[in-house]
Parts: sequence; C-alpha cells; structure tokens
Amino acid sequence: MQSLYVEGNSLMHRLSPRAKLLSLAAFGIVLFIGDNIALLSMAMLLTAVVYRAVGLPLADALGRLRSIFLTIAVVALFNLIFNSWHEALVTLLRLTALMLLAATVTATTTIAEFIDEITALARPLERTGWVQADDIGLAVGLVLRFVPDILGRYQAIREAHTARGLKVRPTTLLAPLIILTLRDADNIAAAIDARGIRRHVS
Amino acid sequence: MSTRDLVLAALFAAIIVALGLLPPISLGFIPVPITAQSLGVMMAGVVLGGRRGAIAVLIVLVLVAISLPVLSGGRGGLAVFAAPTAGFLVGWIFAAFVTGYLSERMVNSQQSGLVQTVSFFLAAMIGGIIVLYAFGIAYLATAAGMGFSKAFVGSLAFIPGDVVKAFVAALVGRAVMVGYPQLPVRA
Repeated sequence: MQSLYVEGNSLMHRLSPRAKLLSLAAFGIVLFIGDNIALLSMAMLLTAVVYRAVGLPLADALGRLRSIFLTIAVVALFNLIFNSWHEALVTLLRLTALMLLAATVTATTTIAEFIDEITALARPLERTGWVQADDIGLAVGLVLRFVPDILGRYQAIREAHTARGLKVRPTTLLAPLIILTLRDADNIAAAIDARGIRRHVS
Repeated sequence: MSTRDLVLAALFAAIIVALGLLPPISLGFIPVPITAQSLGVMMAGVVLGGRRGAIAVLIVLVLVAISLPVLSGGRGGLAVFAAPTAGFLVGWIFAAFVTGYLSERMVNSQQSGLVQTVSFFLAAMIGGIIVLYAFGIAYLATAAGMGFSKAFVGSLAFIPGDVVKAFVAALVGRAVMVGYPQLPVRA
C-alpha cells in the first residue's frame, strides 16, 4: 500500500511533524471562529500556495482531493439553495482551506513520523490503563501485513464459489472470510508474545 | 488488553481495509451495489463485541490519519477529516461500539437462529444507523452550516442502503456465531 507522502524538501517538509500538526489544529479552530469572507478567502489562497509548494504534479495534487472537494461543493450548493449565499461561501472557503492544509501535512509527513507523534500523544494515557502507546505501531504494522492475505483469501473464496457453480452472495462470501481470518488470531498472538514484543503484558 | 484481543481488532481492521479495496458486491435482489466498508463497521460490532469492535474501527481511522489511502475509492490522509461528512467517519467508532455492546447484551448461543439474527439486526440498526447518523448529522448541521433539519433530510437518502447493510451484517454475525464465536457474551 502506497502512502500519500511525497518526497521533497519544501518548507513544510522541513518543519517538525509536531509543529505541523499543532498548526493544523490551531488553523482549524481559527477557521471555524471567523466568518469574514475576505479573511477566509486569503486563508484559502494561502493554503493553496502552501499545498502547491509541496511539489506534486498538478494533476496528482488535484486528483487526490477531488472526491473530498466534491462533498464540500455539494454541501455548499445545498447551503446556497436552502440557506444564504453568505453561509454557502463561508462553508466552501472554510472547508476547502482546511482540506488544503490537511493534505499538505499529509503529503509532507512520513508514516514513521506520524506514528511517533501518535505514540507520544498516547503515552500520558497509559496511566489510565486504557491504552499502551507502543501497541499503536504494532496494530498498524499488523494491518499492513495482513491486508494482502485477506485479499488472497477473498479471491480463493470467490473461486471456490465458481468451481461449485454457486452464486457469490455477501453472506456466503463474508462469513468464511471473517472466520478464516480471525482463526489466525491465536497463532499470531502466540508469535507476538513468544518474541516478547509487548513487554508490558505480564 | 490481551495480545489476542489486540490481534483480533487489528485483523478486523485489515478486513475493513480490504473491503474498501474490493469491487462493490451486488446483492441480487436490489440493483444498487453496496460499498462494503460501512458494512465492515457493523460487522466489527456484531462479531467482536463493543470494545474490540470499536478498537478495530479506531485502528482504521489511525491508518487514514497517518496518510494511508485505506478508505474506499483510495481516499486517505488528514484531508478526509476536513470533509463535511467527517462526522460519519468519527461516528464509525461509536457505531461499532454500540452495535457490539448491544450484541453482547442481547445475543447468546442458547437462543434460536432467528432470535440471534433479529437481535443482531436490531443492534446493527441502532448502532450503525441511529448512532452513526446522530454524529454525521450533528457535524453536517454545525460545521458545514446546514442546520439540523436540512442535514437530516439530506442524509435520509442513504438510510435504505444502510438498512440493507444492517441486514447483511446480522446474517454474517449469526453465521460467524455458529462457525467461530468470538462475541463476549454477558449474562
């Protein structure tokens, strides 16, 4: 699976991940407080410039955001018809600016940097006993490891249907897929514990 | 949390991701193909129960946030949380939790198949529709400025598809209950 990270050396690439995430959060709050159209337009233009500076080819840069922008546009149109044009324009500018800055942070931060930040964020929560910060990286790794296996199993179950002349139905497909996948859990858990990866679990 | 619970949640997160990569499954009796990812959220609840189901969904959202394109249609990255529909995405966690919690309370292995299926269906309807839409509509109404009544009307069109998904999730939940029960059952 390909990450949405883009190699580069722009200003945003060089900023620390924590600074980027904090400024994204702060930017989000400021955007939702203000509803001045001139200021929001400036914010949107600024984020567009920052996003362009990431160094993605224009077609890719737009392609990534097409479906999200479409939902924003639909909601803005809905607002235009049923509420005021001011409300519609504010929504459009506000969400587009937030989307552009979020996409910039995504394109300039590696997965390892993100996982480090999330782990650091979860560390204080360990005292509550709800979460072990190191489990987050482990869980992410497990998912990436097993998605291809699940796709392979899905294909095998489809072929088994075809070989028997059965119609592929959601229930006859999903139930065996889930059972076959979860049945590995005991072995995977034993393998993790045997290697002492989760040292905090006694 | 035991290692086994963590692995079960991660495997289910992988199933939800895989469902986003697969071509939509057509149901036969209705012409519209269903995108399976929100079905995966309901199934996480009915198969794994509240806590592990919610963790499975949370793992998927972490993958989205750390810039992996794991949502259907190859969407991913922090920008999806800027969409007006972000409330539905965050609501997934609570939808899986409520679906799972109700399943744990209502279903046990002594019941007949019909009772189990109906209970799973009700749990998936309450968690996967009522709870999910409460979050989705609240975000649409406030952050996207639509106002509650209009956000509600605008979301109605998607409910029939989700009722079908709740039904499929109930059938799958019952089948997994028979084949490889994982649901922690309470008295």
